[in-house]
Amino acid sequence: MPDLSTTTVVALIKVAVCIGLLMTAAAYFVLLERWMAAWIQMRRGPNRVGIPLSKIKLFGLGQPMADGIKFIFKEEYTPAHVDRPLFLLAPITVLTAALATFAVVPFGSVLGQVDGVEQRIELVVAPGIDVGMIYVFALGSIAVYGVILGGWASNNKYSFLGAMRSTAQLISYELPLGLGILGVVLATGSLRLEEIINAQADSGLWFAFTQPLGLLVFSVAAFAEAARLPFDLPECEQELIGGYHTEYSGIKLLLFLVAEFLHMIAASFLIVILFFGGWHLPFGLTGSGDEIGWGTAIVRIVALMVKITLMILFFMLVRWSWPRFRFDQLMSLAWKVMLPLGLVNLVAVAFVYEFEASPLLHVAIGWTVAIGGWIIAALATPQIADNTPRREAAT
Amino acid sequence: MNETQITFGAATLLGAVGLWLMLPRGSHRGRWLGVLCALGSLGLFGYLAPRMYLAEESTAALAGELVFMLLAVVTIVSAAATISMRNPVYSAIWFAMSLLGTSGLFLYQGAQFLAVATIVVYAGAILVTFLFVLMLAQPKGHAYYDRLSWEALLSAGTGAVLVGVLTMAIDSSMKSDESRPKSAAAEQSTDQAPVVLAEQHVAHLGAQLFSKYLIAVEVVGTLLLVALVGAVAIVSGDRKPSDRPKGAGHA
Repeated sequence: MPDLSTTTVVALIKVAVCIGLLMTAAAYFVLLERWMAAWIQMRRGPNRVGIPLSKIKLFGLGQPMADGIKFIFKEEYTPAHVDRPLFLLAPITVLTAALATFAVVPFGSVLGQVDGVEQRIELVVAPGIDVGMIYVFALGSIAVYGVILGGWASNNKYSFLGAMRSTAQLISYELPLGLGILGVVLATGSLRLEEIINAQADSGLWFAFTQPLGLLVFSVAAFAEAARLPFDLPECEQELIGGYHTEYSGIKLLLFLVAEFLHMIAASFLIVILFFGGWHLPFGLTGSGDEIGWGTAIVRIVALMVKITLMILFFMLVRWSWPRFRFDQLMSLAWKVMLPLGLVNLVAVAFVYEFEASPLLHVAIGWTVAIGGWIIAALATPQIADNTPRREAAT
Repeated sequence: MNETQITFGAATLLGAVGLWLMLPRGSHRGRWLGVLCALGSLGLFGYLAPRMYLAEESTAALAGELVFMLLAVVTIVSAAATISMRNPVYSAIWFAMSLLGTSGLFLYQGAQFLAVATIVVYAGAILVTFLFVLMLAQPKGHAYYDRLSWEALLSAGTGAVLVGVLTMAIDSSMKSDESRPKSAAAEQSTDQAPVVLAEQHVAHLGAQLFSKYLIAVEVVGTLLLVALVGAVAIVSGDRKPSDRPKGAGHA
């Protein structure tokens, strides 16, 4: 066992790197998102802010900095009718929960040999947490508090409606989220995210290929949990002004917005780690096992980061191309479509592992179940395409 | 009656008085005195606590003890705040804080699964539902009789006596453990415990649940199913057959 002080120092460095990178990433993903929006809507987007006091524009890379300074120095207006302690507590809760999620999420494999440290340094803030996946869910359920408290403390009908809707949404979609990963957990026999990556790296077969239905259910639920379009009912500018954070401004609003981006980053991490093999690349590009040199270690980190960036780009693409669901559509999607599909996926995975099917058969069964389940769901509970309210029969 | 017992008695009495003064009784008088009394009682119990601890002298042990103390104080103070708040929403939030403290204590003892399950089940599901109902049900403040605690004196007394007696019992059992030589079986179990906790924690737990405690799991599962069916029956029970099933968007 390494002595306590080394472990502590290593852990503190990892925490610092993690928080620093995440905050920077959140800021620059905002810029990326605005570029993406501009590209899709055929505008130019933010391209002016560069180095201050000069004419150098740098494609607008100074924008996140300017945004941050604006948020911090803006007047922080607290309306008189709010419940002050809870009004303050809500953004803090949301951001803390969002940041704490990353304690169990690996951002690489292991480092190469470091002088003075006996064991390989694992690139997770808290290695060896055996309940990693449930821990992520626990923090996800803490994040609900921020939303519901923010809405209630604001003492504003729009905020309150937003909080009510989004709490119902977040709680409902926790179930398909859990069902989506159950297949993966069953296949690997562990809740540790590092183990799940290792299992995929060992077999070379990502769970996206063997459990496409699980991927579908999990991704849809992750979109909903991150409150991204088409599930952004918590905010819903057109109906609720800003949903639960209507009354917030300045740094408190910034905390909410950063937490939202962190949720999206966490969701991308989870999708990549659970279904796209984490740091693993095919054809032996990322080596095997834990005894690796610095080169392989860096290749693994880069592979993971590239996959996550692609996933985030997908999130953004979806945001700017799809309209929002109506609330009843949202709920019936969770309870009538995603929940049964998740159960079907679980049964199929259990079946495959009970009879030890060959990898090819495994993939075939996975896709058959996915396509079959999707067709049956589409036939049995069609999501209403037009937006006219359903007529209730006269009572 | 030795000195320790007298201290325990004093701590219990102080705790009872403090709790009674803090509980919502319809008047604000003596609330801060109650807080002082409760803090004094907590301090007395805390003063007694080190003698219950048998940790070896080292920095790690000291740090561990500090973490434990911090978590314990957070849990207890939040629990006291839960019952003494006048606004039910605040009560719920303090209860959530208390649950977080409890979960931290579980984690500190190595019970990882129990720790996260506490948060997921209590804080994540049950308490959020409470909050939902509280916020929906009482938009215009609460009735006077809803803000009072019933039988404040009796409940404060009972609670304090329970805590005092339990602490005393644990204290005396720790002392007798110290004097008695360890049996072979006890030593073996302490040897095994860290292994089970460290490696494959959840797998061990699952294996135990589905082999040794299978019947209990099945019974609890059936109970939950019955509750679920009951909830559905209540929701859709007195609906006329002519009613079309409505969309879920009418929450």
